[in-house]
Amino acid sequence: MADLAGFGRFARTYQPGEIIFSEYEPGDSFYLIQAGRVRITKIVGDIEKNIDILSAPEIFGEMAILEGAPRSATAISLETVKVLEFNRANFEILMIGNPQIALRLLKVFTKRIYDQKRRFMILTLDDPQAKIADVFLMLDETQGSMNQGEESGDRREFKVTVDDVAHWAGMNTAEVQTLLGHFSNQRRVELYADRIVVKNINDFIRFVNSKRKK
Amino acid sequence: MPKVGTYRANSVIYFQGDQGDRIFVLQRGKVSLNYNDIETGKLIREIIQTGEFFGVKSALGRYPREENAVVLEDANVLAFTVPEFEAFSMSNTRIIIKMLKVFSNQLRHIHKQVENLMENPTAVNAEIGLYKTGEYYLRSRMYSQARYVLGRYLTYYPAGKMAEQAGRYLETAEAALARYGDGKGPAPLAGSQPASPASPPPGFSAENGFSAPPPPAARASEGASLSDVAKDYYNAVSLFSQEKYQEAFKSLKAIADSSDDSEYTDKAQFDMGRCLFALGQWDLAIKHFTGIVQSSPKHADMSDILYIMGQSWEKKGDKAKAKAFFSKVLSMPGDEDSSARIKAKKALNALGGA
Repeated sequence: MADLAGFGRFARTYQPGEIIFSEYEPGDSFYLIQAGRVRITKIVGDIEKNIDILSAPEIFGEMAILEGAPRSATAISLETVKVLEFNRANFEILMIGNPQIALRLLKVFTKRIYDQKRRFMILTLDDPQAKIADVFLMLDETQGSMNQGEESGDRREFKVTVDDVAHWAGMNTAEVQTLLGHFSNQRRVELYADRIVVKNINDFIRFVNSKRKK
Repeated sequence: MPKVGTYRANSVIYFQGDQGDRIFVLQRGKVSLNYNDIETGKLIREIIQTGEFFGVKSALGRYPREENAVVLEDANVLAFTVPEFEAFSMSNTRIIIKMLKVFSNQLRHIHKQVENLMENPTAVNAEIGLYKTGEYYLRSRMYSQARYVLGRYLTYYPAGKMAEQAGRYLETAEAALARYGDGKGPAPLAGSQPASPASPPPGFSAENGFSAPPPPAARASEGASLSDVAKDYYNAVSLFSQEKYQEAFKSLKAIADSSDDSEYTDKAQFDMGRCLFALGQWDLAIKHFTGIVQSSPKHADMSDILYIMGQSWEKKGDKAKAKAFFSKVLSMPGDEDSSARIKAKKALNALGGA
């Protein structure tokens, strides 16, 4: 375990149920869990969705490396939680002498950069229908394991709403609704209240590739 | 132990799309990372310096290679497996710190690019999002969580659209927490309408014995960690986002005139110009920004200032001056992908090029 003696001034303790930070709050700190579990949640529609449960020695809130960006989720302590709280200005102090933590943060950044690049690829498409199709390709790449069973073939089921798709595509919900309607008329997708089914993911791959600038 | 590989000129160390678990260091020779820019499709060649690491992100993050690593001149390359790299990094913290800095810059950069292409800037929605989060917790009788979130709302948006409502909710949350405890008591928002700027105050009734809420301003100081000038400034920015430009201008002017904190006087000066522009006062905006350019040539928002000056000239119908300012934005040193640069480039193209 990392040598964290001498970092007392960064230590914070949260009582069970206490919010560490809230979704949408501007934040400039990120956290290294030392003890206890932290629940990461997001309010979607009228439901509080659990995104993750984290424990020592995981890092969260690392997107605070971006100046002034609002938090994308809420962090609530599940039990008595001890963390070290850092920010852009002082994280180097912790990292020097704690290469394990630095390496962990490096891996977290690696993943975030990849996620953001993938999002950027969606947004750079000019064709709005291609943007929507690419959202499903991205979801398929990152949550492919959700589609259990070999027999599903090219069919993919996504637990997302029109709002979710609009968010990823950087478009407004009404437009996405209309365009998904077109896809549905062409029998390329099926729309349900709680999920969207893509009938042939390869059809979408070809479609998006044909629209991407080369 | 990491192994040294020898590569001939024109050979390829890895291809884009390959799955790879090796991290490389160039020891001798010349290697180029070739990839297409996501936005333009243009081929980018990034020359690796001797001693430099490459292939780090895809190996550590276990995703496909994002570029072709092409050998330009016969090269010696040291290849680490991920476990070897991890072991190596434990005794070479400085290398990890350096990579962390590079990666955090890349993350900021790509995040900014994403933000620039989003239709709805997140900052506008963050205010309502925070308010609704507080409302959700209150409705779910999670009073202490509601208290935290609503308190934060009032700290950041003391004059926000929902400030009055948030003040009332906060009062409700505190009273319910004291009276019933978390998760208990009658649902404070049962049957109330989902939040919208026009919605009536929450329906907590007289028999609950809650007295009239204090004005939101009194609450705003609670849990505040921002300095007074910062609060004033965010207050003014909130007015601006509500399109109350005249009021915003007044508050900003007060900050610019009275504060000693140059961070906020600079910001306020800049936003005063944005108010003038938003009010359609092109001449005043140009005059105001010219003043900033002269008095603080190193202003942090210089690219944006020049861009808005260009826009003002364009609005006035002077295309030549507009072009000159947009070109100036592009010639500024600094971030290649700042939103001002991207916007200036677009504006220049719309005007038929430089």
